[in-house]
Amino acid sequence: MDSQLLNPTSLKSRFTARFLRALTKINAPNPISSSSPTPREIFQRYRRIKVAADKSMAYSVRSRTTWSRATLSRLRTRSRHRRLASFGPRSSVTTAAVLKKTSSHGKENEGGLGVQAGELRELVPGGEAMDLCNLLDETAHYIKCLTTQVQVMKTIANLYSLE
Amino acid sequence: MEKDEAFMAEVLNRTAAPRQPSWNTGGLNSATEQVGNWFLNPNWDNSMDQSDPFESALSSMVSSPAAASNVPVSGENVMMRELIGKLGNICNSGDASCYSTPLNSPPRLNLSMVSLPNQTTLAPFSADPGFADRAARLSCFSTGGNFGGLNDPLMDSFKLSPMAGNSGSDKKNTGVSRSSSPENAESGVSKEESSVSQQIPSRNDAGTRKRKSIPRGKAKETPSPAAADDKVASENDESNSKRSKRDGAPAGNGNAKAANDGDEKQSKENSKLPEPPKDYIHVRARRGQATDSHSLAERVRREKISERMKFLQDLVPGCNKVIGKAVMLDEIINYVQSLQRQVEFLSMKLATVNPRMDVNMEALLSKDMFQSRGLLPQGIYSMDSSAQAFPFGYQPQQGQPLNNVIPNITETQFSMKTQGFQLPLINGFTDANPQVGSVWEDDLQSIVQMGFGQNQPQSYQGSITTGQVKIEL
Repeated sequence: MDSQLLNPTSLKSRFTARFLRALTKINAPNPISSSSPTPREIFQRYRRIKVAADKSMAYSVRSRTTWSRATLSRLRTRSRHRRLASFGPRSSVTTAAVLKKTSSHGKENEGGLGVQAGELRELVPGGEAMDLCNLLDETAHYIKCLTTQVQVMKTIANLYSLE
Repeated sequence: MEKDEAFMAEVLNRTAAPRQPSWNTGGLNSATEQVGNWFLNPNWDNSMDQSDPFESALSSMVSSPAAASNVPVSGENVMMRELIGKLGNICNSGDASCYSTPLNSPPRLNLSMVSLPNQTTLAPFSADPGFADRAARLSCFSTGGNFGGLNDPLMDSFKLSPMAGNSGSDKKNTGVSRSSSPENAESGVSKEESSVSQQIPSRNDAGTRKRKSIPRGKAKETPSPAAADDKVASENDESNSKRSKRDGAPAGNGNAKAANDGDEKQSKENSKLPEPPKDYIHVRARRGQATDSHSLAERVRREKISERMKFLQDLVPGCNKVIGKAVMLDEIINYVQSLQRQVEFLSMKLATVNPRMDVNMEALLSKDMFQSRGLLPQGIYSMDSSAQAFPFGYQPQQGQPLNNVIPNITETQFSMKTQGFQLPLINGFTDANPQVGSVWEDDLQSIVQMGFGQNQPQSYQGSITTGQVKIEL
């Protein structure tokens, strides 16, 4: 498996490309190895990197899955919050209302798994409005993407430490 | 998919044994009793006018044994198959009233199933051409002959028909066999009536498999009164081209009630066969289970859910021993949480490690991603293991830009480097710690505990606060 060539259009390659681009953008303004970046700076960078990771993963998946769409919309509303503090969080309210409407229908047939299903819904973005069946599908795809993300970020971190 | 087949085979094996005794003890009685129950199922909306055809069909059926008695077993099998087909017709007809008429006809049957207590069930033996086909499809659920050991000629027919029925299997049939796999032919017949239609969610995910059974819509189209044996046979022939056994059937059966409408119905059936209705999922109830539409839908849902749980079980490492949905879900939740925390931890690490952007990152990554495959399967312990694999005092060209080095390196060498650099990585990591201070000590400790395995929390706690890392090898 080590000698396999990766599919250039695979999820991993797409995510990697996007994430690297985002990383370079984030790291660009910093001078190289400036002495003692303050914790606040590091924390900000951490947040930006995390957002970049989630966003690039969601973009790599496009809108094929519910969780990717939910992540993208969540990120967009958050960025809109940050930028336009004066505006009310209208989009989040509407999405919450929509979610409340749809969430009541699909959750009837969970059997005895209501507690776990609820937890899973919290974990998987966009999981509130899905019945258990679709939720499990989304979870499977989400797990696959998360593992890809972790893998790529690990190798990037290793590479960064090499230099 | 192999999972489906494995599941099917497993269910078949499990359910094959209990079936045989019922057969040998004249189990057809129970079968037809159940079929009879099906007939009175108010859920049916099919109505067939079967008063006349019953006797005609029955007579044809009755005469066929006489003809078949001279013929070797294959003839009986054919006759049996037609019997099944006609029995299936009964299933299709939703009109309970028509079953009262042919009380006089069953005694004419010389088959072993004459001793039916519930003789109304055999009455509407208007051989539905559609149903014979359906029976053939149903018969394909016994993949691989779980009928071994059956001596009864009835059983032989059922045994043989699956073999033939399997031949024409397309995806529909496999779907049928999957959904009806636990059943014998008789109960497969009984399952016919309780088919439930569900909307097929249109999805192309890899994890979803669609259940398809014989379309129930066919039943509505086949109130053919004069389904003769040969018609049934020919119809089956058309639908399943490979059924060679059937070729002798039409010739063998004497009383062919050739009806024109039967032909038309067959043609309709045949035209409908290739395209199963795509908007519904048809499901059969299993033997001995409730048959109202709600519970059927419920069962379909449950099966879908367990199917997906199995898929998730493969995805989540370490879930093979766990049995039970609740514990599985807990494991899945834990795994997702750990993955999310890993992402946070790695992004934090990336935030601290200052990159030198003079390296062609993408080239590095494209090569390094090959080796990184080996890291992930070990999960969160990968850091430890690769750290353990670092025996050399490999003082790399950390100061040099790796641009010059990379093109010369083969992948194996590169993997050595990446593994060798685990140790300096951790050192570099801890160098940043004193600068960070208390901001993320708590976060870091918790995350590091998650990321580096729970077996070494104490060592890392102490090490991080003091800015030293001791790797327990």
